[in-house]
Amino acid sequence: MGKIIAIHSYKGGTGKTLFSVNLATTFALKGKKACLLDMDFRAPSLHAIFKVNNVECWLNDYLNGTCTIQKALVDLSEISGGKGKLLVGLANPSTEAIRDMSAKDRKWEMRALGRLLSLRNSVLDEMGMDYLIFDTSPGLQYSSINAIVSADLVFVISTIDASDVQGTKRMLCELYDLFEKKTYIILNKVLMDISSKRGKEELSERLGNTHTLPIFEIVPCFCDILKAGGTYIVAKEKPQHFFSKMLCHMTEKINHL
Amino acid sequence: MKKRDFSTKKSLLILEKIKESLEKLNQKMEVMIELQKHGKTDTENFADITAPLDVMTLLSMPDHLRKTAITVCRLGRATAEEVAQQTKRARAVESAYLNQLVLMGYLKKERQGRKAYFYVDKENKE
Ligand SMILES: Nc1ncnc2c1ncn2[C@@H]1O[C@H](COP(=O)(O)OP(=O)(O)OP(=O)(O)O)[C@@H](O)[C@H]1O
Ligand SMILES: [Mg+2]
Repeated sequence: MGKIIAIHSYKGGTGKTLFSVNLATTFALKGKKACLLDMDFRAPSLHAIFKVNNVECWLNDYLNGTCTIQKALVDLSEISGGKGKLLVGLANPSTEAIRDMSAKDRKWEMRALGRLLSLRNSVLDEMGMDYLIFDTSPGLQYSSINAIVSADLVFVISTIDASDVQGTKRMLCELYDLFEKKTYIILNKVLMDISSKRGKEELSERLGNTHTLPIFEIVPCFCDILKAGGTYIVAKEKPQHFFSKMLCHMTEKINHL
Repeated sequence: MKKRDFSTKKSLLILEKIKESLEKLNQKMEVMIELQKHGKTDTENFADITAPLDVMTLLSMPDHLRKTAITVCRLGRATAEEVAQQTKRARAVESAYLNQLVLMGYLKKERQGRKAYFYVDKENKE
């Protein structure tokens, strides 16, 4: 039985897309079947990261009910060197499409939720994928909450910014808990050296009662990844990178959640 | 002094009970008024009011109804029995919540033989 994972955050730019892409790629490199969907219709990015520009159908079309999910998925399994499977659903980056998606009414959002919920049957059961990953928009967006409601696991990526930590804590009890979701926090771009006692203390000082938070992983800020700015997929191009190793470890841990 | 304290406490308690009963009565009346308005004696075919069951609506619902509503969203179409299996609550409880959601316009109810099915109405009826 496959797993559906939503990757969310309170603030923007915390690393959702970086984690979504590398998590899906790591799964594929390990011989698993992963499907990654760009649910960030306000600022699509997967088309740029995977360098795909012409598609038969966008994820927008699937949610509009004008195509099947199979038609909206691009097969990028070659990234895994034939080891596993990687299917990607892209959000339409045209200004017109972004405008269109932001003007949807509640009724449309309700139907979109139904279509996302039905992916468990079509993508996991029928197509036999092992993982379905949603990369979402930050904050309380319709598309993001739809993805969260449809998921089994939610990963919230937070930086150690005071406002980000506070917003993440609030979402834990006012969003994820209300939908009874298994939620885990990934602290990203952490600048303290957590291998030292001093660094650990500094971090928990910043976060406040850390022991009450479901922290899944603490990830440092990598200068080279920041510099590369999404021009290549770290897990694929640099398998020996500490970040790639962390992801490998995370995929193992996810299997036991 | 002590005695008076005790009696005010007691009357407060009684008032609280009366208030509770009145609230319950009020809720029942509201349902009956709704039913009367639509000339129906049951929640069946109560198709006149529809409200979209979107995630923001789900978020703003009381916890007990949210659980029932999400379960119907997930199952697509379900009986009270099937919902109760998922939520691990009593069938009668789910039945009451489901009917409440029908009255609120979020769900539709349809009879098939002896079974009543609840579902989210996705048709556009604006
Ligand atoms: N641990 C890290 N070390 C270095 N750079 C990082 C790290 N995590 C993320 N980044 C960089 O930060 C930038 C923002 O990351 P990303 O686009 O993944 O964030 P996001 O949460 O998806 O943003 P948005 O909310 O806009 O969708 C990217 O350039 C990314 O490469
Ligand atoms: Mg992003």
